Amino acid sequence: MASMAPLRQFSACLRCVRQPATGAFAANGTTIRLLSTTPAVREELQTEKGTSTPPPPPPTPASAQGESRDIPEYMKKWGRLDPNRVEDKRAERRLIRRDGVLPIGSRRRRAAIRRSAMRKTDEIPFEQLPYQCFQEARKILLEDRQEKLKQIETQKLRLKNLMAQDPAVSGGERAKEARIKSMKEHLNELIILADINDPIVKKKFEDGQGDMNKPIYRYLADRKWRQYKRPLLEQRLTQMNIVPDFLPALDTVVDIELAFGRKVIQPGDFVDSSVSEKMPRLRVQSFEQGEKLVSVVVVDGDVPVPEKDGFTYRCHFIASNIPISPTQTSIPFTMIGHRDSKATTPAEKQIALPWLPPWAHKGAPYHRLAVFVLEQKDGHKLDVTEIMNTKRDGFRLRSFIDKQQLKPLGATLFRTQWDDSMAEVMRRAGFGDQVDVEFKHKRVEPLPYKRRTERMR
Amino acid sequence: MRPPLWRPVFRPLNPSSCCSRNLLSPRIHSPRKPVVAPCTSPFSTTARLGKRSKGKANAADPRVTAIRYHLQHPLTPRPLHFSRTRYLRHWTIHRAWMLFLRKRRRAEELELERQYESMRAACEHLRLMDDNGMTVPPAEAGGQGADPGTLGPRGKEVGRLYRGAMRKVGIWGSVPVEYARAQVDFPSREGWNHGWTR
Repeated sequence: MASMAPLRQFSACLRCVRQPATGAFAANGTTIRLLSTTPAVREELQTEKGTSTPPPPPPTPASAQGESRDIPEYMKKWGRLDPNRVEDKRAERRLIRRDGVLPIGSRRRRAAIRRSAMRKTDEIPFEQLPYQCFQEARKILLEDRQEKLKQIETQKLRLKNLMAQDPAVSGGERAKEARIKSMKEHLNELIILADINDPIVKKKFEDGQGDMNKPIYRYLADRKWRQYKRPLLEQRLTQMNIVPDFLPALDTVVDIELAFGRKVIQPGDFVDSSVSEKMPRLRVQSFEQGEKLVSVVVVDGDVPVPEKDGFTYRCHFIASNIPISPTQTSIPFTMIGHRDSKATTPAEKQIALPWLPPWAHKGAPYHRLAVFVLEQKDGHKLDVTEIMNTKRDGFRLRSFIDKQQLKPLGATLFRTQWDDSMAEVMRRAGFGDQVDVEFKHKRVEPLPYKRRTERMR
Repeated sequence: MRPPLWRPVFRPLNPSSCCSRNLLSPRIHSPRKPVVAPCTSPFSTTARLGKRSKGKANAADPRVTAIRYHLQHPLTPRPLHFSRTRYLRHWTIHRAWMLFLRKRRRAEELELERQYESMRAACEHLRLMDDNGMTVPPAEAGGQGADPGTLGPRGKEVGRLYRGAMRKVGIWGSVPVEYARAQVDFPSREGWNHGWTR
């Protein structure tokens, strides 16, 4: 136990290390992975997703219960220690040492909570806190909200009237459509403005409890995504030339998170071949209302062709007819694969081309593997049996998109290169004959006058 | 590390908490005799850093601790951290204040616009008025805007008051004419807006 206690204490300290808002990503693309980063990233994920999955439980109840056997007698005598209420230094230290939990907030706050609990004063809800300026501010905001609600009502009525209007009166079909569009935009703006000043909405969003079915939370999540994650993704996509190489242009509108098992891959990371052997897991957060059917395509853009001294494409994965919505964000391909194996007819399947583990020759430059999420037109289902015939080598994403009438919603990428486990992965994937192939730089003979001569020595 | 000499150091003259006890503690009449502060270094106003002794004598009053905590500070003060609810309250008040300012600004703009429009309507009325106080059609009235002196087909009879009102003579008699427009560092990029029409 004596050796256990400081260890746990250390992990507790690690958890409190303040992470930058990015999670574990430095600006230059290198990852700094600490033990503590994973929960932090998961929290961030939660905030954006806004689903009701519970946060990773703090190790208090379960682990403390599980380890209660080896807690020594003198520690049990300390009694129950509440991380919200411990006030003095000794209790804090005991809490960290025995339960491995850090006290929450400042000592002053904890003292205040403890005192009020001792006095049995009932907690005042946030909106009723007796601060004059705050209450005046709330009055102003509520008044504004009422105004906005009234405006929404009138705007809805106007929109309804316009829809019923004869196009000849409103100046032609096109003018009417343009007016309807602008009025709808204004209506959406008003709906956002009605709730944007609500502190409870802000609090809920920050806690990750926002309901993504409501426009305000979708708006906030979108704004947050566009502040950091999207610029970062854009940077990676342009720096690694995804945009001109795979697609002529791309405007990402969904937040995609790629993970292999529990390991989240930041865009552009090198992934070990043993890790990427299994199918990935996608989390696609869309910020627009309604359900969409999407296809997911994974393409390798750097397959070397030594004969032509160039590169070609290879398709690693195609899955179609996957529904996503603001609340339905997860695409677990492993589960989809299980469902597919139970399907009776090939048309019911969703995975058209099964996952081919990314592989690279020894000595070849790294391979970029881009993951694209493509929206199917008008929510129509694609014919999977037809896509099954797609050839993997020389796959062209542009032609595929044109042929299937898809619209790219977003992309992310990871990289792969030769590593220690690559040979085994290739053998398992059926490329055993390629294992021994090694790419080497061609030796360029220096021109005669560039040779080092006696004179130069 | 010793602090630089030029920095004010707030430290009790005696390492023990005797002086604070004397000044602040209500327990002056306690049976224990208060420790008299012996002046250890007569040539200095600041106290020497004596060795810290672990004992009952050093256990300070929490109020004294609080005061010392607020007096002794490093060069950079600690950052202002709000608690969660305090921050949310602050945010609420800030948003409400911004909303209030915006609404007030909008109201001021609207008021100014209303005043301008009513002035313009009055001038237009004068321009279209003949000597009998009757309104004439715009085709018969004189010029407006940049050339208010131009007469219409009915001559001086129409818009007499308007022409008088538009005369700028003597307006800048007592004030420098430079104040006619807001003074800026550079002339505007396209000196005059020729394309402007009402």
